[in-house]
Amino acid sequence: MTTRWIATGLCHDLPNGVVMAGRWHDTELAVWRSASGKLAAWKDRCPHRGMRLSHGFVRGETLSCIYHGWVYGTDGGCKHIPAHPSLVPPKAIRAEAFSCVALDGVLWLAPADVSEAPPRLGGLRPVRSLSLTCGLAALMAAESALAGKDILRGSVTFGGHAVEICLLVQPKPDGITLHALCGASADLVAVSRWLEALRFKAEEKVAE
Amino acid sequence: MIAPEVLNEWYPVAMASQIRAGQRRQTQLLGQPITVVLTDGAIAVQGPTGSFPVIERFGHVWTCPGTPAHDLFTVPEVDQPGRRLVDVGVVRVKCSPLRAVENFLDIAHFPFVHTDILGAEPHTEVNRYEVQIREDTDEVWATKVTFYQPQAAKSAEVGIVTEYMYRVPAPTVSVLYKTCPVVPGEWDVIGIFVQPLTEELCDVWPYMALFDDVTPMAELIAFQQMIFLQDRSILENQIPRLLPLDPGMEIPTQADLTSIAYRRWLKKRGLTYGAQMVAA
Repeated sequence: MTTRWIATGLCHDLPNGVVMAGRWHDTELAVWRSASGKLAAWKDRCPHRGMRLSHGFVRGETLSCIYHGWVYGTDGGCKHIPAHPSLVPPKAIRAEAFSCVALDGVLWLAPADVSEAPPRLGGLRPVRSLSLTCGLAALMAAESALAGKDILRGSVTFGGHAVEICLLVQPKPDGITLHALCGASADLVAVSRWLEALRFKAEEKVAE
Repeated sequence: MIAPEVLNEWYPVAMASQIRAGQRRQTQLLGQPITVVLTDGAIAVQGPTGSFPVIERFGHVWTCPGTPAHDLFTVPEVDQPGRRLVDVGVVRVKCSPLRAVENFLDIAHFPFVHTDILGAEPHTEVNRYEVQIREDTDEVWATKVTFYQPQAAKSAEVGIVTEYMYRVPAPTVSVLYKTCPVVPGEWDVIGIFVQPLTEELCDVWPYMALFDDVTPMAELIAFQQMIFLQDRSILENQIPRLLPLDPGMEIPTQADLTSIAYRRWLKKRGLTYGAQMVAA
């Protein structure tokens, strides 16, 4: 059974008080953490004039749209419209929420009605995310040690050591984004270099 | 197929001084390739199947790819003695030409997009203003618009409450009149002339006719350029890229009365190039 959860980033890339762009298949999302650390993910579109909420700014426990400053609480409801300071915004004005969970250092997204929990990746260390202009097939052709579909795992040898690698695959229109984790004792810089070499090799496979 | 209502309107396609200086501009209008060129001392616009009519006005070249339904609008104020006419130049924006115009009609974004220049928190309130479709000229007008501005113009030294009037005299054009910081009782005139390259791509020509004989031309241009580039960061990140005319797609408030009138005016007149009629 494949999971509906898709990794959209690593927790260390989203500190408190920050918003970033996320993606679940073709749905673009704004993923953000409040000052106190509450996590939320919404369709990346302010209901007012369609501006990307991922370009907005976090103040305390709210996210504001950068266009007209409309303020949304972590529950997705619009709390304040600066052009009309004394107006209580109608309840119907709300951002469309997705499920977002931070687990084992990974930010996971799924539609709001998801019932299962995200996959567990205990014992691994988050390394980094990287985007590739090629698809999954080229990636698999470039590295035979990896197996899987949404979650690629394998043991790779470099620098004389076997390193456990886990790549979470996030599809996007022009390629894939990988969120990489590795065995707890591996050298993060070495793994990062290996990932860049892998990207180079995978993208070259497409050019061939 | 592009609707005749769209083809029969006037659109800006070049800055006249550049064509007069001998530059040839190969560009697009409503998805068709066109060339703007100087021929025997006259500016001509060549389309795929022949030449289009040309009007040179406000320092720009205007053309109509169909049969002009009416004359190009005028702005009598620009001929007042003492005004500086500022051709700002061109900014390419990946958005619907209609979104570019709508953004120009909007004041509520000033504190957030043009922070500490055209607006600043906590002065975010948009007071009620008046909007009408003027039947005689078939234009959208917004009047009695007021807003607090820290630096209303390059010439403004202190924050002032600026009064605005907005006007949509053509589907891809807006002209505003705002309190002139240096000459009491006069309006500065600022416009955007939007050339629809395609439904999702436009060239925007800001234009100004100001009472300001002090600020160097380069600084006037740089000020307007800065403002418009701030707008572009919004315009290229609105979803969908087309302007939704389906009322269920976006949620306006009282501050958006001009935008609501503009959308209705476009819909009623069939000017739907760059618009999304039904939610995707």
